[in-house]
Amino acid sequence: MTDVLRRESPVTSLRPKIRIAGFVVLLVMGLIVARLWQLQMIRGKSFDEMSWNNRVRFVRIAPSRGTIFDSAGRILAVNMPSFTCSLVPGELDQPYEVIRACGPALGLSPEQFRKLIEGSASVPKFMNFPIKKNLSLEEFSLVKTHLWGMKGVVLESKPCRHYPMRDTLCHVIGTLGEVSAKELARNEKLGYRAGDMLGKSGIEKEYEPYLRGEEGWEQIEIDAKGRQLTKLSSRSPVPGSDLILTVDASFQKFVEQLFIHRAGSIVAVDPDTGRVLALVSKPGFDLSLFSPSISSREWKELNSDPTHPLENRAIRGLYPPGSTFKIVTAAAALAEKVVTPHEKILCKGEMEHGGKTFRCWNEHGHGKVDLHRGIVESCDIYFYNLGLRLGADRIARYASYFGLGQTSGLGLPQELPGLIPTVAWKQRTYGSDIKDGETIAISIGQGYVVSTPIQLAMMTAAVANGGKLMKPALVKQIRSADGKVVYDHVPVVRGEIPLDAHALSMLDSAFRDVVVGAAGTGRKCRIPGINVHGKTGTSQVISGKVTHGIEELVPYHERTHALFVAYVNDRPKKIAVVVVVEHGGGGGATAAPIARQVIAHYYGVPDPGDPTE
Amino acid sequence: MGIGHTQLSLTSPKFEWTVVLTGLFLAAVGLGLIYSATSPAGPAGRSFILRQLTWCSLGLLVMGAFLVVDYHVLERWAVWLYVAIVVSLMVVWAVGNVTAGSKRWIDLGLMRFQPSEFAKLAVVVVLAKYFQGNPGRIALGFLDLWRPLLLVAVPVGLVLIQPDLGTAVVIALVALGMILFVGVARKVWFFAFGAGLIGVPLLVLMGDRLLLGYQKERLATFLDPSFDPLGSGYHILQSQIAIGSGGVFGKGFLHGTQNQLMFLPVKHTDFIFSILAEEWGFVGCVAVLIVFCALFLRGLGIAAKARDGFGALLAFGCTSIIFWHVAINTAMVMGMVPVVGVPLSFLSYGGSSLVLSFLVLAVLANVSMRRFSY
Repeated sequence: MTDVLRRESPVTSLRPKIRIAGFVVLLVMGLIVARLWQLQMIRGKSFDEMSWNNRVRFVRIAPSRGTIFDSAGRILAVNMPSFTCSLVPGELDQPYEVIRACGPALGLSPEQFRKLIEGSASVPKFMNFPIKKNLSLEEFSLVKTHLWGMKGVVLESKPCRHYPMRDTLCHVIGTLGEVSAKELARNEKLGYRAGDMLGKSGIEKEYEPYLRGEEGWEQIEIDAKGRQLTKLSSRSPVPGSDLILTVDASFQKFVEQLFIHRAGSIVAVDPDTGRVLALVSKPGFDLSLFSPSISSREWKELNSDPTHPLENRAIRGLYPPGSTFKIVTAAAALAEKVVTPHEKILCKGEMEHGGKTFRCWNEHGHGKVDLHRGIVESCDIYFYNLGLRLGADRIARYASYFGLGQTSGLGLPQELPGLIPTVAWKQRTYGSDIKDGETIAISIGQGYVVSTPIQLAMMTAAVANGGKLMKPALVKQIRSADGKVVYDHVPVVRGEIPLDAHALSMLDSAFRDVVVGAAGTGRKCRIPGINVHGKTGTSQVISGKVTHGIEELVPYHERTHALFVAYVNDRPKKIAVVVVVEHGGGGGATAAPIARQVIAHYYGVPDPGDPTE
Repeated sequence: MGIGHTQLSLTSPKFEWTVVLTGLFLAAVGLGLIYSATSPAGPAGRSFILRQLTWCSLGLLVMGAFLVVDYHVLERWAVWLYVAIVVSLMVVWAVGNVTAGSKRWIDLGLMRFQPSEFAKLAVVVVLAKYFQGNPGRIALGFLDLWRPLLLVAVPVGLVLIQPDLGTAVVIALVALGMILFVGVARKVWFFAFGAGLIGVPLLVLMGDRLLLGYQKERLATFLDPSFDPLGSGYHILQSQIAIGSGGVFGKGFLHGTQNQLMFLPVKHTDFIFSILAEEWGFVGCVAVLIVFCALFLRGLGIAAKARDGFGALLAFGCTSIIFWHVAINTAMVMGMVPVVGVPLSFLSYGGSSLVLSFLVLAVLANVSMRRFSY
């Protein structure tokens, strides 16, 4: 054993290097101890004084969030101060004094106050523990006077979002909320801290970087009692930019109150620019519920409401477009020349195909129908035949020219693309081909086809403006706090519909006769003196179930959706409107009168009411 | 009393007590400091202590387990160990969890695993195997160096893009030390010296001229996400006040005002030394530094007496891992070098770092205890 211990290691040649390494270790450790000596022994006294008397505090100053205006300069969302009273447990030296002085001013009994003080032990000693939020200005000044000479209670003024129009345009504006832990992990670089507010939905979310502004900061020296001594350095916050929307709030408000039904959506756009004139999703909610923060009870109520008031149906509601989709089928048939405008197809009220019977909405049949009559009277049999001649893929291609099956790019978060079925899609999803029966359903906007109201509005706008698919816009201008225009909306053409002027004018005149023709399905949208064009749609919710007879006898969720698209394009001020009433019955009966009132109000003419025949 | 021929009995004169006891002592000091650092956070701070204790036991378990086997198992598995670490670094890069703006962790459900910590040991092992035949006997020329440099560059690069500048610096310094330990030719020395003399000022000058202010700030933020453009200098100033105000004997356990009033940022992790300095003063700091220093010298002694080249290089590399952590961390906390985010071995809060530190000690002890067995 002993001779083993005495044995030399085979790496004796490393010895000199080990010695050098040992020297380096001692040198570095020596340097560290020397620095420690310098900091603790030589300068220790002054650092000690600094730590006891002068403490440097770093204070972040939140920027004020930008204001959202409507197109006429009315305020839709603005920051206002809100007052909070907090305890600082580490500074509270006379709790009974504080309870006696501030309790009554805050409306708290001594017992309640004592419980709050006990509860505040759970936060770090020098952090603020809020005991009452949203103080009124009177309460604020009352507490302030009673606080004189007392430590441990602080009053803070925090900005809070204020919505003067409450629920008007609620889905577009969107809500604010505290930054979540998940978002914090993702946005760390942008400088958000726990407790910061940011946009959670709508414009507030989408334009967060513009609205937020830049945080400022101050480095201040404070003494042991927390009194500020000097400001060492600072940077002022940069307020967020203001947004000016394309929507006129008074028009929006008018359109909102027109919608008396349970659920649905109205979208009105300017066909030439794509600017949104009104965007309604019903039911809505009161934005001020969310400011400064929504109570969990109210949140639960809103969230579990079966009518989903928080959903923006204009961009997320998926509806079968029904007969309004005949715009696409007709355009495709003309452009692909599978039919001439004058070819007549016989409608007997039903047709046989592949051993199945397909019905027209008019069980008595329309007789011999050409393109014009097919559109005006919305003959299903006529469009079934066009659909079979075109096939699903060709219909889908034209649907995409009209912007269906893809998000419109409106600039609101979580927009849904809807669905236009293609053969490839069917193969991918179900592993089978599109059958003729399905193509028949697609040709009248049923079956797998679903689209959102904003898509239908842009489709209608494309017909109204002569074939241009526009990108819709909600924000007209962004102005920085110093008044500079950061962004100015310029109309964006997303695509052209490959249809010649002649074919377009033919469609245009058919849509005119939908409203003015004696047999037109959209007669309830007539306004004397205004050339309203339109197309009705009544889309089935339960496939194949044709509801005849008394609407009230059908259960609500099985009733058809009522749709109407309309436009006016022969005036300098144009408009395209889509009205969707969920389970509203017939498009011509329920949706058309709403579109009429929207258009009449837009042009400042009195509503003529339903025509009497 | 021995387990096989390796004589693992605790009472045996061969048992490496110095290394094991130093580790235990330092980890205990660390627990005390973390307790103090997290106490102002109230009950929420307690969970840190519990978690660190869990990691501590895991570290001891890993150390004990590794002492049973011969360290030459590392020689046999060196390449695979290296490959495994490089792959897991790539996995982190692809799917890792983001914390404070950088991806460092793989979530294993119960615990989060930080492969960059273990990359340090993997680089040491792979270099030790690569050079095992010839430490001290030859002088490496330029042509001998490109392969080992590549072996080092891959993990360093992967750690840099996380981004984790601190770990990358430690790996690079450890590898550099090992290469110098093996021995390089005089011309390489001259070349490196000359390149440094010309290159460093040139780089600084170019960086200063070509980069705009915000780009520099961005570069700094990229290299170290904890770098706060709003409060640059704030960490260091507060940490220096804490250290300096500690004086000779310190303010006492749980009585550091800088600590308790929460002026110190990330104090339970990278800035734990400032808590030690504030609450235990110069005396406490020097005591801890002496223990560290004893560990380093003992580690070098183990390298000198190792049974073979592999063991010597392993012991040298392991000693340098802990050494560079201690040197860079204390220097950075005292404002001697820029803040790069290197934890203080054994003392800083953090599971992967603690387990790695115990593993490193286990390797050292293992090399020491098996210097006799053939």
